[in-house]
Amino acid sequence: MLVFAIAVVLLAYAAVGLGLRGKLPGLPADLVVFAALMGAAHVAIRRFAPHADPLLLPLAALLNGLGIVMIYRLQQSGRNGNPGLQVTDLPSSATTTQLLYTGVGVAALVVVLVLVREARLLQRYTYTLGALGLVLLAIPAVLPTSHSTVNGAKVWIIFGGFSVEPGEFARLALAVFFAGYLVSKRDVLALAGRRVLGITFPRARDLAPVLSAWVATLLILIFETDIGTAALFFGMFIAMLYIATQRVSWLLIGVALFLFGTFLTANLFHHVMERFTVWLHPFAGSNPTGIAYQPVQALEGLAFGGLFGTGLGHGQPYYTPLVQSDFIFSAFGEELGLVGVMALLLVFGLLVQRGLRAALGVNDPFAKLLIGGLSFVLALQVFVIVGGISGLIPLTGVTTPFLSQGGSSLVASWILIGLLVRVSDTARGPAPQPIQDEGMTQVVRAG
Amino acid sequence: MNRALLRISLACLAMFVLLLLNMNYVQAFETSKLAAEPGNIRVFDEQFTYQRGSIVATGDGNDVTIAESRLIKGTDTYQRYYPEGPVYAPVTGFDTIYSQTGIEQTENKLLNGTDPRLAIHNLTSLLTGKQKQGATVELTISPAAQQAAYSALVNDGGHAAAVVAMNPSTGAILAMASYPSYDPNVLTTFDGTQLNDAYNNLVHDPAQPLLNRAVTPNFPPGSSFKIVTSSAAFSQGLVANTNTTVPAPEPLQLPNGNLLNNDGDETCADGNPPIIEAFYLSCNTAFAGLGIRLTAPVLRDYANKFGMNQTFDIPFPVEPGLFPEDQGWTDPSLTAFSAIGQFDDEVSPLQEAMLASAIENGGTLMKPYLVQQVLGPGLSLIESASPSAFSHPVTPQVAGYVKAMMYEVTHNPSGTAYETAGPPATSIPIYGKTGTAENGLTPAESPDDAVFSCFVPAGPGVSSPIAVGVIVQGGGFGADAAAPIAVQVIQAYLKAHS
Repeated sequence: MLVFAIAVVLLAYAAVGLGLRGKLPGLPADLVVFAALMGAAHVAIRRFAPHADPLLLPLAALLNGLGIVMIYRLQQSGRNGNPGLQVTDLPSSATTTQLLYTGVGVAALVVVLVLVREARLLQRYTYTLGALGLVLLAIPAVLPTSHSTVNGAKVWIIFGGFSVEPGEFARLALAVFFAGYLVSKRDVLALAGRRVLGITFPRARDLAPVLSAWVATLLILIFETDIGTAALFFGMFIAMLYIATQRVSWLLIGVALFLFGTFLTANLFHHVMERFTVWLHPFAGSNPTGIAYQPVQALEGLAFGGLFGTGLGHGQPYYTPLVQSDFIFSAFGEELGLVGVMALLLVFGLLVQRGLRAALGVNDPFAKLLIGGLSFVLALQVFVIVGGISGLIPLTGVTTPFLSQGGSSLVASWILIGLLVRVSDTARGPAPQPIQDEGMTQVVRAG
Repeated sequence: MNRALLRISLACLAMFVLLLLNMNYVQAFETSKLAAEPGNIRVFDEQFTYQRGSIVATGDGNDVTIAESRLIKGTDTYQRYYPEGPVYAPVTGFDTIYSQTGIEQTENKLLNGTDPRLAIHNLTSLLTGKQKQGATVELTISPAAQQAAYSALVNDGGHAAAVVAMNPSTGAILAMASYPSYDPNVLTTFDGTQLNDAYNNLVHDPAQPLLNRAVTPNFPPGSSFKIVTSSAAFSQGLVANTNTTVPAPEPLQLPNGNLLNNDGDETCADGNPPIIEAFYLSCNTAFAGLGIRLTAPVLRDYANKFGMNQTFDIPFPVEPGLFPEDQGWTDPSLTAFSAIGQFDDEVSPLQEAMLASAIENGGTLMKPYLVQQVLGPGLSLIESASPSAFSHPVTPQVAGYVKAMMYEVTHNPSGTAYETAGPPATSIPIYGKTGTAENGLTPAESPDDAVFSCFVPAGPGVSSPIAVGVIVQGGGFGADAAAPIAVQVIQAYLKAHS
């Protein structure tokens, strides 16, 4: 499977060369390194989590590889005698940098596998990680703009030439915190409470820590004008609360809070209202050349790609601002068409499904909750950005996992894969009881 | 917890299903709508990356390319090129990076390959990896007639003038020339600033090169309108046949007391000539008198049947003649002037060609058209012209009467065009009617507009008939300035078709 994924990436790379210059590019060192990294990840997984779901790494490798290929394609545009316009905010070393971050990501995966021999070990650090997550989130908010703001989003830590988006890691840390807290309190949360209108509402004191973390997170994010990430945290919290308590009341409270929050922010903040205008009337008046320029470019790019796409290197994705990061999916849509987009969505869907499968299979409630929440938020993230780009929902800027240019997102995604691998290994590994369970037979089949 | 997890899984599934559905909507069902959004850069860029279809003149049986897209050396970019520039400009129009006119505009979707009828072909070329290509538009224009028409206009001494020739039995337009013209090649640049400059130069040129005079009703028809007046008089029974006499006093006293004179205040034969004589001598008072008896609404009704006051597509929209209901238009004293084409009616050369056409074709006016057929990139037939009747202004009998009168104009030694379009000038049997129209300017400012409407019926040495309308602004006498141009066009056409 992994070989197949790497082969697809190689073919895509060759297609870029053919598309741009009409000839095959030479085998670049970049791709050899990529293949070696994936091989190393494979060996590490075999060594440290031998029973892990064998599909996780190939899926992640495929997405990461295609992301690198698209970044290479965008970086080459208008450079080195290639046709097209330059993507000016994409440095000519972007491919190498992205590959470097892939290396860091794979290293992080190995570290997770080595250190976290069992997911429940993380439960010990529930409050530590919760505090760490909040601090990480808050740092950009207190940093001066020059050290924290890129393209209007105050979500970065920038020093020297180096920048980190701490929110990506905070999400993982806060997921651990929520899982840990909810597991220890879930009986209380699920059982104690007042019944109102046939729905049992939780007690305030059980709710307080969760709610305060929740509110703190959202406030920080709103202050940092990062609505997309706020939506992701929101969704993750609600999903995890629901999984932990199985209480529909949480969903209702969540949805109500979400609608209220949306209404409030839309009326409080001009730029949020603007997003709604752009979403509903992208082509009205001066919008296409003004506030809706970027989504209109993305939509027209998708439409231009049509069913089969223009082919890698043949489209004009460079017209869409930020096409290399938040909007990379529109570049895939333009050059690979509906067919390619559906394939990518299926790969993401498979990854989410394998994560949820691991959560279902594992016995440890903490791991179940952590992985269930993280899998859900992965799906939600894809939904928010792809749905935003294609006009399904108002556009909010979040990265596309694995595909987007940027180290933080990529490394965090690999850590997530590490956690999934670890939990799937636990879920599918030999159970303590001598019972031949489903997981065992699957390992045999997969081998 | 597993039950909740399963529900969460369903939620994830729902999100992916929604995304897939929406992607299908955007990329499969909404593509043409999004492609048509104004300012779509990708569609804008794309127009240069494949070969736009050619426009070809096929009226002489062979293909003469008059507009094509050429690959610029060393690039992947195509640029529009018009080999004969100004000659065909009134027909082709131009194709700039922003907009089109003429055939380039009306056939744009076929030429650029986005017409739905080319969708299957586009899909096949996508699958086989061939480059997208536009369709070829084949026009009815006869290169021989067109070249002759444009040369004749250029050599006419700088008057603004235009010619239209058409096949009376089909309506196929054989020539459409206008002078002064422009070179559409100056508008094919990719440089927006250069394009703006070139375009502004043309727009602000006092000679109005962009004006397609061939189809713009800018000229009084003068005596050529007597074709309409006599058609109405025969049809209404005012005049029984060509030998019926009509009063032609000099001068004619109008109901309001004013006087209407013949050209040069000459008497018209004995003052009561047969209508055929009044026609070939072009007596104003005879036809002014008929006009008063016909009344303005009846006259206008026949003008409408000949195509005036009608807008139609050839395929670009034209309104070849105007007989407006201006204030006082039913006043008999003004109707007298309308009947000799000197009140406020206005025509284009196309209208003149249509008058002759209807008479030649036995009273049936065929709808003028320019596009013979459109061929897909694989030479598959996309569309083909089917000639259709536009109207039936007169019966075949009345058409015969008018035809006989038009014959005398060029063949009776006293006929107005005997010297310039009759036997002294050519052996071709041309039937015509001259017009010399006062254009509202004093003789010092501009001489009269010269008008000639004529046809050659099919017969020995003439394989297919041709009707021609010529107007020379400020040219003077219709017989002297307009008729020779028509003769040159007819000669060139018949030579190419002998």
